[in-house]
Amino acid sequence: MFTAGLLAGGVLTAGVLWLLSGLFTPLPAGVRQGLIVAVALLAALRDAGKVSLRLPQNARQIPQDVLRRHLARGALQFGFELGTGVRTYVSASAPYALAVAVLLSGGSYVPALAAGLGFGAGRALTPALRRLSGDGERWDGLLARRLSGTTVLCSVLIAAAACAIFP
Amino acid sequence: MSESGRPAARPSGARTVRAPLTDPVLPLAVLGIAAVAAALYSPMLTWAVTGGLAGYSLSGSV
Repeated sequence: MFTAGLLAGGVLTAGVLWLLSGLFTPLPAGVRQGLIVAVALLAALRDAGKVSLRLPQNARQIPQDVLRRHLARGALQFGFELGTGVRTYVSASAPYALAVAVLLSGGSYVPALAAGLGFGAGRALTPALRRLSGDGERWDGLLARRLSGTTVLCSVLIAAAACAIFP
Repeated sequence: MSESGRPAARPSGARTVRAPLTDPVLPLAVLGIAAVAAALYSPMLTWAVTGGLAGYSLSGSV
């Protein structure tokens, strides 16, 4: 249920961004691609600590009592809120880069749908791997040591992908 | 050998395999390779992989 919620949340946010993307279609494709790559690189620099930039986020945690009321429905809601990316902290810059990419992509809804599903699946990887590791605390320690490099690399890869996929 | 003369305890086979397969860096490596492959063959899949990267970058955040 949690993963279903994550996927649904990701699709919702991507869908809203896709609806708004029509506003930017008058911009030439080359300009939009340049902006997407620039924002992704800026995101990488921000995560690397080279650029200080405040970005909008909902600075709160999803209340734990969501899960206490009804386990299955709570897991769905918790996943959905996390999946939207706008209901809690955003601790990395790559989601902003993805949002800008969807916003400036224009065209068919299918890329936005794919990006939204991918976002939800990507968020689901963390709890899945932690659980599979069999030692959550050790896994948390490993993640903490590698988190900074991970976030930077994610943004760099998004920038590289933007160079390749834009129509 | 441990100090007591007995062989030092070694992790079981399952644990030995599990640790590298659940390493937090592994999804990043897989998604990175997938992004390159998808960019060459399937732009739509690249969007999904890109989304996955953005989602995974939020690891550790709830």
